[in-house]
Amino acid sequence: MMSINPFATLAETISPSAIQGFVLVMLALIVLGIVIQMIHHKNVTYFFNNAKKAKLAAEREIGAGEKTAIILKTVVHDIATTAELGAGKRRIAHVMGMYGTILFWVASVVMVFGYTAAGTATPTVWPMIWHVGAIMTCVGGYWFWLFLRVDVLAEAHPWYRIIKADLFVLALLACATTGLAWSYFQSSGSTGLEYLFLVLFITSNIVLFGGVYWSKFAHMIYKPGAAIQKNLAEADGSRDNLPPLADAPKQFGLGIKREQPKHY
Amino acid sequence: MAKHKTHYEDCDVLVVGGGMAGTGATFEARHWGRDMKIICVEKANIDRSGAVAQGLYAINCYMGMQWGENQPEDHVRYARNDLMGMVREDLGYDMARHVDSTVHMFDEWGLPMMKNEKTGRYLREGKWQIMIHGESYKPIVAEAAKKSADKIYNRIMITHLLMDESQENRIGGAVGFNMRTGDFHVFRAKTVIVAAGGASHIFKPRAVGEGMGRTWYAPWSNGSAYALPIAVGAKMTQMENRIVLCRFKDGYGPVGAYFLHLKTYTQNANGENYEKKWYDQTKELVGDYIDHHPTPTCLRNHAFIQETMAGGGPIHMVTTEAFQDPHLETVGWENFLGMTVGQAVVWASQNIDPKYTNPELTTSEPYVMGSHATCSGAWVSGPEDLSPPEYFWGYNRMLTIDGLFGAGDTVGGSAHKFSSGSFTEGRLAAKAAVKYINDQKAEDIKVTDKQCEDFKEAIFKPLETYQVAQNEITGGTVSPSYISPIQGLQRLQRIMDEYVGGIATNYMTNGNMLKRGLELLAWLEEDLEKVGAEDLHQLMRAWELKHRALTSQCVTEHTMFREETRWPGYYYRGDHMKLDDDNWHCLTVSRRDPKTGKFSLEKVPVYHIVDENEKKKAS
Amino acid sequence: MSTFVYMTRCDGCGHCVDICPSDIMHIDENIRRAVNIEPNFCWECYSCVKACPNHAIDVRGYADFAPMGHSVRVRREEEKGTISWKIKFRNGTTKDFVSPITTKPWGKFIPKLADGDKPKQEEINSQMLYTEPNGLNIDGKLPSVPKDTFKKGVYY
Repeated sequence: MMSINPFATLAETISPSAIQGFVLVMLALIVLGIVIQMIHHKNVTYFFNNAKKAKLAAEREIGAGEKTAIILKTVVHDIATTAELGAGKRRIAHVMGMYGTILFWVASVVMVFGYTAAGTATPTVWPMIWHVGAIMTCVGGYWFWLFLRVDVLAEAHPWYRIIKADLFVLALLACATTGLAWSYFQSSGSTGLEYLFLVLFITSNIVLFGGVYWSKFAHMIYKPGAAIQKNLAEADGSRDNLPPLADAPKQFGLGIKREQPKHY
Repeated sequence: MAKHKTHYEDCDVLVVGGGMAGTGATFEARHWGRDMKIICVEKANIDRSGAVAQGLYAINCYMGMQWGENQPEDHVRYARNDLMGMVREDLGYDMARHVDSTVHMFDEWGLPMMKNEKTGRYLREGKWQIMIHGESYKPIVAEAAKKSADKIYNRIMITHLLMDESQENRIGGAVGFNMRTGDFHVFRAKTVIVAAGGASHIFKPRAVGEGMGRTWYAPWSNGSAYALPIAVGAKMTQMENRIVLCRFKDGYGPVGAYFLHLKTYTQNANGENYEKKWYDQTKELVGDYIDHHPTPTCLRNHAFIQETMAGGGPIHMVTTEAFQDPHLETVGWENFLGMTVGQAVVWASQNIDPKYTNPELTTSEPYVMGSHATCSGAWVSGPEDLSPPEYFWGYNRMLTIDGLFGAGDTVGGSAHKFSSGSFTEGRLAAKAAVKYINDQKAEDIKVTDKQCEDFKEAIFKPLETYQVAQNEITGGTVSPSYISPIQGLQRLQRIMDEYVGGIATNYMTNGNMLKRGLELLAWLEEDLEKVGAEDLHQLMRAWELKHRALTSQCVTEHTMFREETRWPGYYYRGDHMKLDDDNWHCLTVSRRDPKTGKFSLEKVPVYHIVDENEKKKAS
Repeated sequence: MSTFVYMTRCDGCGHCVDICPSDIMHIDENIRRAVNIEPNFCWECYSCVKACPNHAIDVRGYADFAPMGHSVRVRREEEKGTISWKIKFRNGTTKDFVSPITTKPWGKFIPKLADGDKPKQEEINSQMLYTEPNGLNIDGKLPSVPKDTFKKGVYY
């Protein structure tokens, strides 16, 4: 199962152009969703207004070179390792899910556009990446869904409670889960279940990419932007009006912050 | 009801409330009760719960016996003077003789205490106060409680005490609900130490929008300290002794460090020292008490209120002189940041820099509590070696119900405890509770499942009321069949404000007004059977309201009973406008019959166990 | 007043929900971020502000009486034992303050009483509390008052 390109097998029944067309439509939905959200919420206006306000509070100028370095550092450290989540399970689950999804999507595109033409053989590495990506997404995602969501952890809501904020993570999990199931039943020869999960896989993707306007999908863009802005503000001294770090040695250990936010 | 699980827990010492008093009790109980099961149940999160959530900038009760600064009898004289004679001197002496060991422990634990550079002693703010950097005061003492307790429960609101069904007048434990899980919790306990919060928000606050949140005393102090014992028929004392505070306007920021350390002073809008103007009038009201030194707090309030009513306001504190000194300026600001950040926010928003502007003062709405400059609370036994026979019935800080103890705001008659004194009182109650158990007084307590089930139904009823009532209306908050917690609270606040001496009447009330207030409170009590809660958070607000309403009834009854104006500046009895030592040099004690809901009140003698030191000088 | 949460900074960790003494910091259902659900029960105690690992929570003074344009922000650093404040007036004046919050490693010098020496019977029978009389740092015993000096109800 893990070494077979399920899209290639699918391309024997449905034309590769149709599959590729579907992927392009999904990409278009992402762009559409984000652009409409930006226009509707005027979040770009807010972002730049805020940046102007912060500049007034800046204590020093940052040169272009320093700015680039900070942005690069933010991408490599804060964004690539989801540093804002601090140390702990949430970060691990998020990193796992994030890279799993990246691998899953990249491998999907590569396999759909590169290896669905009749007669092409897919190098095993790509299906491996695709399946591993889906599994990682499931591990990180289900871990998050069942145990780590703050409304479950800190507010004691049951894991099966679904709210609007769950649209993104549930749709993503549905994609990864149904994708794996589709691949499994395809390679085991159960045609009925194969097609059932294919339909569910297609539906999940439509919900995931079609729901961009309503879900937290776009945070993928906003959060990195916010991280960059934050580090630039730290560097130019405006710091969102926060006081600077105290000039004192770390000698007392942690107090309240030792424990998880679950005291009930 | 099926989805609210029930949890039973048995223990020896149950501490209700994890504030300063509760943490003190939990901590100390372990020393005396090594093998006992000690549980503390806290409505919020013990790390930041209670009145000390944001920290404190001073410990207002420290004798300094080690340096000969004060002795316990000095504190008794001070507290009794400030309360116009009406305190339990045995409780006050007992607290004062122990409080130093509490403060020394805090120092040991890491609480930053400011030091006097010259003498090496704790830096005094005033005669009783020492200055601290106390932003983390609460997390530090919370950790001490955590180390002693078998378990600390957070986010559980105790709504009722349980009574023993095998023996008359003996405690059986407590019940409550978890506002996260929605579970019902039954704590069967040999002893219960009530260390919950006093009462804010029973009188209408000056601010009525968002600003409602900026009460002087924490908004989450909903009078459980009083309602829990009142409901089971424990005797209460001095519930009429509400406190009004003169503080910075809007933010209610503290003025202690300003007066004592920065040596600032007040003046009216014309730059006059107005207090002197009201001397004669005050002397008419209270006689020689105005000549005591220091001037009792309520009388200083009285001058402020009179001056404002006479048109001399706004009254300011003169800070421009003191703030020229950069050290004092730092103290002035940090005083707020470590204790009442909101005041710094107010001044920042209004461009008030005390170096250039003299900030405005105001008198607050009334509060009812037992640990500050007033002493409302439960009627408790004192310690054996200090209490006259009427004040002692076996165990220190035990209420008139066997096995039920109190500490902090819960205990009446012991004023000017503040944080360190409340923690100390918790320690005293804990030792006594352990002794009570070791004396075999808590044997064979019987609490039936039926008692618990009845409480469970009552506790969750507001959720059901809301759900059912929603069927009647299309939506919104207006219903003929239920009231929401905020609606009930606003009604309660108006009743107290207009009839029981709130700011609406400049703290004035009289027998007729109080009678009307009681009528309206009785109707509110009936309507509270129909309070509706949308979710668990609102359910907690509903029970906070119920506790506030019961406390308010007790406060009104006491105010009606004391037919004199003992504390002008806290409140006035328009129909008895003088201090009347001939008839009222005594404490008031009440008991509400749990079966009928009727209050009965009596006078109880005040014992002075300490003499006057020297002839008092006029201030 | 009260507290509000910055959209770009909150990542839904729940520390504010966990710590709020008023139980008013909760998670919004649409975005799974923290929000103050009851500003009129907010004391501005700053517990949530200090607890937030991302400095996502800030305070806007109560609308009843606080004009706009001010800022009072804090950084509580447990490992350094410090708390730093930056106050910004509406007119742009700023003031900065740094204070200690502990003198010892957190919890290290708070005793676990279960492990300490058991109290002796005479201590149990006395009026003394834990650490006393030594903890009072005085010579001699716990102060008391002889009962024959008590005066009942008489103006002292």
